[in-house]
Amino acid sequence: MPTRRSLFVLAATVALVAAGPVGAQDKSIVVASTTSTQDSGLFGHILPLFKAKTGITVKVVAQGTGQALNTARRGDADVVFVHAREAEEKFIAGGFGVKRYSVMYNDFIIIGPKDDPASIKGSRNVVFALKAIKAKGAPFISRGDNSGTHIAELKLWKDAGIDIKKEAGPWYKSIGQGMGATLNVAAASGAYAMSDRGTWISFKNKADLVIAVDGDKRLFNQYGVILVNPAKHPHVKKELGQQFIDWLISDEGQKAIADYKVNGEQLFWPQRE
Amino acid sequence: MSMRASVSDLPIVLEEVSFASGGVTILDHISLAFATRAPAVLIGPNGAGKTTLLRLLMGLIAPVRGRVTWGGREDVEPTHRAIVFQRPVMLRRSAAGNIRYALAAAGVPRGERADRADELCALVGLNGLGRRPARKLSGGEQQRLALARALAKEPQILLLDEPTASLDPAATKAIEDVIRSIAARGIKVVMSTHDLGEARRLAGEIVLMHRGRLIENGSADTFFADPRTEEARRFIRGELLV
Repeated sequence: MPTRRSLFVLAATVALVAAGPVGAQDKSIVVASTTSTQDSGLFGHILPLFKAKTGITVKVVAQGTGQALNTARRGDADVVFVHAREAEEKFIAGGFGVKRYSVMYNDFIIIGPKDDPASIKGSRNVVFALKAIKAKGAPFISRGDNSGTHIAELKLWKDAGIDIKKEAGPWYKSIGQGMGATLNVAAASGAYAMSDRGTWISFKNKADLVIAVDGDKRLFNQYGVILVNPAKHPHVKKELGQQFIDWLISDEGQKAIADYKVNGEQLFWPQRE
Repeated sequence: MSMRASVSDLPIVLEEVSFASGGVTILDHISLAFATRAPAVLIGPNGAGKTTLLRLLMGLIAPVRGRVTWGGREDVEPTHRAIVFQRPVMLRRSAAGNIRYALAAAGVPRGERADRADELCALVGLNGLGRRPARKLSGGEQQRLALARALAKEPQILLLDEPTASLDPAATKAIEDVIRSIAARGIKVVMSTHDLGEARRLAGEIVLMHRGRLIENGSADTFFADPRTEEARRFIRGELLV
């Protein structure tokens, strides 16, 4: 006849076996990334592959780049995966990240109405194009949301010698919204806008918009991945987070990135350093 | 007309908007924008969701999923928008009285209402009919009166639900002329119609809907000359979309 003590030991053993090793139920990390990366569908493609390999679930919090970095600064993510190198380097210099790894790149494009009021279609010189848009007062829609795309757009205006904050006229509309909304407004307004190619390829409401400018190296959009610094936030899952980074820059991860296609088109090119 | 408010309700942006009622999906993941440009015309078979979309753009209903912003803001009072439904209700007053009522509701000072009412009557082609009881006007005249009432609040956006439905050709032409003159004043017109010919005549941009989904949108010229989708091609050919 089992004693009360032996029944207790049995129950405790069953509970421990059911729970498994400590922490195994929580084999997940939070990655702060951008809406354009999320919307491209890349995560839907690569994260199941990573989970199949490691058992680690990646939960993506998608926001604009600035917001994603702030989320990581607060310690609300284990890894940050964005595309604004200067902001990323500031993030690390501030002690919030451990090390930046280059992962991949895609490119930005300037889209615009097919009747091309600024006469820039086919150009491979984005600085020339932006100067022409401003000179013509051709409508331009900016995301205006502190995203990586917005930050890149502001830099290009600067490269064109234009202080867009001071020199914007009624032709320049900053709408503070994501890429899809920006493209919809550009389609509705017959305006130019800057988009990442991935969102553009997936965008269904192209209406009369076409690619006006692409191929300029200044439009290349590089992505970096950074482990949030456990020295600042001890709760960061540094081993699991580093496993994710190591996988992204491994041959397998880089191939997964290259293999992702939308409508037969590759969206991202692997670029580990 | 006096200057409009500097805060704009444009662009209107719908992001993955869905609307359902009684368990039925009426709008299904619509992402779209309406910006300052020539009139946007919603077309599509009955039950496509056109009227519901107009009500959503006005802010009369809220989406169950997704969001709508006006000039980048959510939950904006419809101060700068106006809507005219298919069968507008006429107040038991004269035509001018209906307009004066709308002017009062828009906060126009009493002393200015008579002159403004005359202006609006002239704009919509109701000169000389101001004293007639509104309920005794013809269908086309009532529709023009409804437009005048809507314009009393000097909207930035004017939403029209089948403004020429059940009107004869002469009345239809009169309404279309008024819509053109409204659009020429810089007011963004978004309207629905069953009449493809009317869509061709008035639209700067076309939005084709079917069963609550956005099928195709773009400039009217491109839509009619070179539609991208099979549904659009069939609709333009006059086939039933089931």
